[in-house]
Amino acid sequence: MTDVKPDVERIGVTRRSIGMLYRNMSGLLIAGTIGAVITVVLAIWGVQISGFDPAQQSLADRLLPPGTDGHIFGTDQLGRDVFARVAVGFRWSVPVGILSAALACSIGVVTGLLAAWNTGWIRSALTRLMDIAISFPYLVLAVAIVSVVGHGFWALVFTLGLVSWVSFARVVYAETLKLKEREYLIAARLIGNSTFRIISRYLARGLRHTIAVMYAFIFADLLVAEAGLSFLGLGAPLGEPSWGNMLATSREYLFIAPWMMYVPAAAVILVVLTANLLGDGLIERWGRGTIQN
Amino acid sequence: MTASSDVEQSVPASEEAGADLPTEVSYWRYALRQIGYRLGQLIILLIGVTTLLFFLLRLTGDPALILVGDLASEEAIAQVRSFYGLDRPIIVQYFLFLGQAVQLNFGTSLQSFRPALELVLEHLPATLVLAAAAVSINISAAFTFGVWLGYRPERPERRVGLIAVLISQGIPGFVVGLILIQFFAVKWGVLPSIGIDGPKSLILPAITLASFLLPRVLRLTASNVDQAMRRDYVRTARASGARSGTVLRRHAMPNAMIGTVALIGVQFGFLLSGSLITESLFAWPGIGLLLIEAVRGLDYPVVQASVAVIAVLVFVVNMITDLLFPLIDPRLRSQRA
Repeated sequence: MTDVKPDVERIGVTRRSIGMLYRNMSGLLIAGTIGAVITVVLAIWGVQISGFDPAQQSLADRLLPPGTDGHIFGTDQLGRDVFARVAVGFRWSVPVGILSAALACSIGVVTGLLAAWNTGWIRSALTRLMDIAISFPYLVLAVAIVSVVGHGFWALVFTLGLVSWVSFARVVYAETLKLKEREYLIAARLIGNSTFRIISRYLARGLRHTIAVMYAFIFADLLVAEAGLSFLGLGAPLGEPSWGNMLATSREYLFIAPWMMYVPAAAVILVVLTANLLGDGLIERWGRGTIQN
Repeated sequence: MTASSDVEQSVPASEEAGADLPTEVSYWRYALRQIGYRLGQLIILLIGVTTLLFFLLRLTGDPALILVGDLASEEAIAQVRSFYGLDRPIIVQYFLFLGQAVQLNFGTSLQSFRPALELVLEHLPATLVLAAAAVSINISAAFTFGVWLGYRPERPERRVGLIAVLISQGIPGFVVGLILIQFFAVKWGVLPSIGIDGPKSLILPAITLASFLLPRVLRLTASNVDQAMRRDYVRTARASGARSGTVLRRHAMPNAMIGTVALIGVQFGFLLSGSLITESLFAWPGIGLLLIEAVRGLDYPVVQASVAVIAVLVFVVNMITDLLFPLIDPRLRSQRA
């Protein structure tokens, strides 16, 4: 009797695990996953789907409304296909968001851990630093720094990462303080693990959910920040197909070619919404922990 | 002061015993301590930010070249350098800068040749008006729509509303602004979209700036009202025969709305980030627009002065929030004092 059971398990394992995955996922996570799939598909194959070269100008085809001559979403003021340009924009805006959020995450996790693990002056100095940094509007700082370090991809990644680490640091700090009191961590310390091992094996396990959720939200924030900076003319260089650049250009053509605004806007909304849905879905699944609002 | 502190000392148990009913004295002590703490933060922040900007600006370009232009002769550049003290070692320059900044002198604008701080303060009222309008929109929307969403959230129309709020969280503020311009200014031509021209021109910028915070405020309000409606004191009020409107207004809402107002206070800095984008979108002559233009024109005295004034503004609002909340919510007094 007991031997039969594993075989039954093995037969249905693939189908059942997919079904289980689906059943365990809430509506938020399903919607977020669909959004993520669409984002990835558009980033990789978007240009091919549009059927046009995003850089190809054609003065005869200026400001064509959506649907004419095979241009699904129309053309811009230089006759370039809007869909193709927005599709290329995925390859600019999404990596900026991913990398700058990763930088913010690394700085924030290190600072948060340092503040929580140490006691005494290191903790009080770092918590004070976090208190101060959180109160300052980070876009203001980003604008000022970008004015100096210049535009470009890496300049944006570093600026955005450097100004937004505080949210990570505060959450990691609060969560680590909580975890430090948990039995499994106390036990891990009592049996003589090194600090590095405790942090990398035990604490990291306790923190990963919180960090994943924060990452989704910060990514969304930084994607919007990048689009905002580019919109102000302080982000992506003029020729780059950043959505912020396209939105800035669309301002002058709102009357005759509103699709130039709606298509990049829809791309921004798609990615931000996807990240927010994933973040909220993960919170629903794992619990809120120390993450506020 | 001495008499009151004697009272404090003679009753050492006042912390626990009087936690529910703190005396006037303990509030003022709390307020003073809080002001001191925040002031210390402000000073560190100001020094940190201005130092960062100072060195970034000096290390990446020669300000003298920006001042006279690339085509000027060597002598002209040298003259400008010695006039502004740019030929001295950078550390000396830095302490000279700090010394002047302490006296509220951030130098002269490189574009309009007026004192940078004066220029920034001139643009302050426009930003304040815009921010105040956006905050009022947020508060009134929270008290109406937010409460409606959170009261009986299981009803289908409120579920749809909540989903709409969730989706609207993904729409960046400047996209909201562009859509508003497209409809109200371009398509229907009913509202102005550029500059200040009567109270009508405040409408679109204010809605745009408000939209930076609105989804979060609505979500928090709805969930707070929902939670408050499940609390014991609400059940007791219901059981004692209070009408449902009274229960909501007198029992649930006061507790739920504290969180909303706190969120707006804490997020005021974020609102100022939004004002950079809103102001340049609508050509609204506030600090945000000034800062963006100064950054574009490498007018670094104005950049320094704007950032400093924004830091002070955030400090003042945080200060007011800190001092106001123990007055509104007695529970905070026992926690913080």
